[in-house]
Amino acid sequence: MDHPLLATHSDFSDPTALGIAELAPAIRSGALSPVALTEACLARIARYDNALRCFVTVTADRARLAAARAEAEIKAGHYRGPLHGIPYALKDIVDVAGVPTTAHSRLMPGTPAAADAHVTTLLEQAGAILLGKLGTFEFALGGPSWDLPWPPPLNPWNTDFLPGGSSSGSGAAVAARFVPMAIGTDTGGSVRWPAACCGIVGLKPTYGLLSRRGVQPNTFSIDHCGPMTRTVRDCALMLNVCAGHDPRDPGSADEAVPDYVAALTGDIAGLRIALVRNWYAGEATSEITDGVDRAAAILSRLGAIVEEVSLPDIGDYCDCKTLISTSELFTIHAADLRTRPEAFGEKLRQRVLGGVFIRAEEYLGALRWRNDLARGLQAWFGRYDALVTAGWLNTAEPADPNHVDFFRRGRNITMPFSLAGVPAISVPIGFGEHNLPLAMQIAAAPFAEATVLRVGDAYERVSEWTTRAPILHSGDSA
Amino acid sequence: MADLPFLTIAEASNLIATRQLSPVELTEAYLTRIEELDHLLDSFVTLTAERARAEAKAAEATIMTSGPVSRMHGIPYCLKDIYETAGIRTTAMSKLLADNIPARDSYCQEKLVAAGGVLLGKNATWEFAHGGPSWDVLFPPARNPWNPAYSPAGSSSGSGAAIAAGFAPATLGSDTGGSIRGPAAACGIAGLKPTYGLVSRRGVIPNCFSHDHAGPLAWTCEDLAILMQVIAGHDPEDPGSAKVAIPDYTAALTGDIKGLVIGVPTTWLDDEDPPKPATKAAFEAALDVFRGLGCSIRPVKLPPLRQFDDAKKTIAVAELFTIHGKDLRTRPELFGASLRYRIIAGGLVRAEEYLNAMRLRADLARAMQSVMETIDVLMLPTAEPAGKLQPIPPSSLFTKSSFTTPFNVGGNPALSVCSGFAENGMPFSLQIVGGLFDDATVLRVGDVYEKATPWRQKRPALAVAETA
Amino acid sequence: MTEDEIVLLARQAGLNLPAEYLPELLDAYANVRRMIDRIPVGRPRGDEPAHIFVPGKFMPVGE
Repeated sequence: MDHPLLATHSDFSDPTALGIAELAPAIRSGALSPVALTEACLARIARYDNALRCFVTVTADRARLAAARAEAEIKAGHYRGPLHGIPYALKDIVDVAGVPTTAHSRLMPGTPAAADAHVTTLLEQAGAILLGKLGTFEFALGGPSWDLPWPPPLNPWNTDFLPGGSSSGSGAAVAARFVPMAIGTDTGGSVRWPAACCGIVGLKPTYGLLSRRGVQPNTFSIDHCGPMTRTVRDCALMLNVCAGHDPRDPGSADEAVPDYVAALTGDIAGLRIALVRNWYAGEATSEITDGVDRAAAILSRLGAIVEEVSLPDIGDYCDCKTLISTSELFTIHAADLRTRPEAFGEKLRQRVLGGVFIRAEEYLGALRWRNDLARGLQAWFGRYDALVTAGWLNTAEPADPNHVDFFRRGRNITMPFSLAGVPAISVPIGFGEHNLPLAMQIAAAPFAEATVLRVGDAYERVSEWTTRAPILHSGDSA
Repeated sequence: MADLPFLTIAEASNLIATRQLSPVELTEAYLTRIEELDHLLDSFVTLTAERARAEAKAAEATIMTSGPVSRMHGIPYCLKDIYETAGIRTTAMSKLLADNIPARDSYCQEKLVAAGGVLLGKNATWEFAHGGPSWDVLFPPARNPWNPAYSPAGSSSGSGAAIAAGFAPATLGSDTGGSIRGPAAACGIAGLKPTYGLVSRRGVIPNCFSHDHAGPLAWTCEDLAILMQVIAGHDPEDPGSAKVAIPDYTAALTGDIKGLVIGVPTTWLDDEDPPKPATKAAFEAALDVFRGLGCSIRPVKLPPLRQFDDAKKTIAVAELFTIHGKDLRTRPELFGASLRYRIIAGGLVRAEEYLNAMRLRADLARAMQSVMETIDVLMLPTAEPAGKLQPIPPSSLFTKSSFTTPFNVGGNPALSVCSGFAENGMPFSLQIVGGLFDDATVLRVGDVYEKATPWRQKRPALAVAETA
Repeated sequence: MTEDEIVLLARQAGLNLPAEYLPELLDAYANVRRMIDRIPVGRPRGDEPAHIFVPGKFMPVGE
């Protein structure tokens, strides 16, 4: 079954509808101009983002210059690769030299960042076109919040709902076809949750595969940068550029980076998959449970050997991560908490204040607990090639400041893979009530992104979810 | 027979390989000497005489038929009593572990057994390698062979004493703030704190995870190299274990240090914590030896000693409390007073404070590696010569500064060798520090120094005690 | 910090010590407190502690 990179599209009347895999060959051949593509994206943002509020900053002038430069380079025969001329956007905790990083917070000074984050450098070197900085929970944690300098982004599939978080703007922007690719960050699920809510693909790579340099920290030992795209193939294309050792990030892994696109063989026959059903059956909504079960059955039909397994309750992973996170978050924000606590959004302040009481013994105890949990989870990869489970236990939350979701509080199906540091991808598997997307997660052993992508891609080839697009409405000015 | 206990590993190994010396005879010589003289020093807490004799016999048989499997084959050794030994009590000198009989050998012990070594016994240590010298723990504190009224320093106190006294040619200790180098210095022997992660800590009762190092003590640097060849290497069961290629440490003892660039941390020695005049003079004399050998010496600037101490000790007190918290809450009376004092406040350290201490460590480690890139090795005294063995205020751990702690913080390989003798006969010491994983260079430099100086010819005069 | 506050901190740590251990806790904590107070605070958010998580070290060791 063919899933060609070199798709021969000839209809570029709406290039924003296309993914990197379709755009790249057209840009390379000259059939599509990077300038036209960037203009189309900027026009779409100008028309529809008032209603969605994905962007904190749109770098239109810079984007136009970069697109013109890309076009000239390509015409002169200097083609940098599949991301050349492709628009992208960054969660607004990722630095771009000369552009302010707001972290969606009053705490940030609003002055331009001094240097590019490493992931920004890699994307720029690949010739990608930055369109702007995307809304997020405050410092990737405090949200969804309505007491910040900018309102929270909304879900393109249904603006009565939120797009998940904390990479909220990233998920929404990709789903809305404002950009075909974005960078988010994931500590407890912040790439995968918005991917699940927005019906797109979001990968939390192995801890250390992507550099964290130049990214505002949430939890040093659990933070990951991750690509967010509409298809698994696009995700692999983005990962090829963004993965790799950065000696200036102390957590950066020094591992060889394979060609992730080459791994998309479409063949998962004989692959051993453990379906972690106890994590979602009975706790997720019935449409999610049925959706994930159906997706697992499809993987089985594609030749994978799918077996149901039981893992420890997700509450353990959540408690352990919260102890570690809160300790590190408090330390990160301590100076501001002591001098200007009122400048915090309420949710961020509440979530980090508890760290003041955590003792070193408790923090160290959590780190020891993490070792046990990580070892326990990774032990499954001795017997299975991949773990599959739900992407999230619920669909997107209502966009209502007064909405409180007690039942889900603190129970997070993305957490186990964060804690274990293993690669985990969220892949769309359908739609439920209110037109809200459903998702599954696929995880594998450390540095086995190729396996995770191969399973996701195989599923994607026989499903149609990525062809659907949300219907946007131009909103009133903010 | 009288000289056998003073053989180095290298010498004994050569004699064994050429069938001129039997491991049985060698082992017997050590056991006899220990039985005669260790009551003066209390360097052993457990003697494994029967096992040693059996191992020596087996080694002899194998060597007779197929030759030695390693340079440690048939060579007696002892272990700081924090190295777990299967079936043999491992007490860490603590009432809490009086009945502790491990089921499994530590990694290093497994390696020594595989190399054909002969286990003589377990050595006195400070309680849990941290509280000491103590008179209220399971066994009395070890004493210094150069003068039994003096301290052998700690925490690898018994290990240092045993080598200097000729009770064994080989031992393993541990070093978290200086616990190999301090005893090596006090006892006039060689001791190496290897690069962090080079030697597996699996089965070594922990002091402080993030700063613990396992390492050898012996009479010479050549002997240290032989021991490192046995114990260095990646162990997936030790989460801090480094995955690096292990060089041939003995082959690296080429004797050549011409052109070596030696850095001296002058801000420490001249301003912050000047050594006493005699110690300074001994250090200068050592530097002169290197000048004479064609090395160049230059001052280097490192962050203040006190910062290294603050970072390490804050991290350590929190990690120690984490390790011992359960016992402190339920049976604090079983701890020696020194250890209990040194860890009890760790329960009050907040995570934020621990994390800031870890951030300081990151700064200091970066600064150290930056400086080490500009030189081949760093040199400074290890410590003042040993003082009398007497109770010291446990708070001194927090207040006294240390020339050894910075290299636990940075993780760099750090060696202590004997650099002469004071007027009262107690040894002076020289510390040689290298770049990360450059343990071979550090040993090479120490080896050259030992061969260029007469210090290795002098042994402590331990006499059989006459009845008082 | 007052003696009462330290006792409270100790209780929070689950250290319900008999009275005879209190003087040593107070003395020891005073020393630890002095060290902690010298450790720099108010750092840039991105200053990372010397702890890293290495996921590859947790894989089962295969034959």
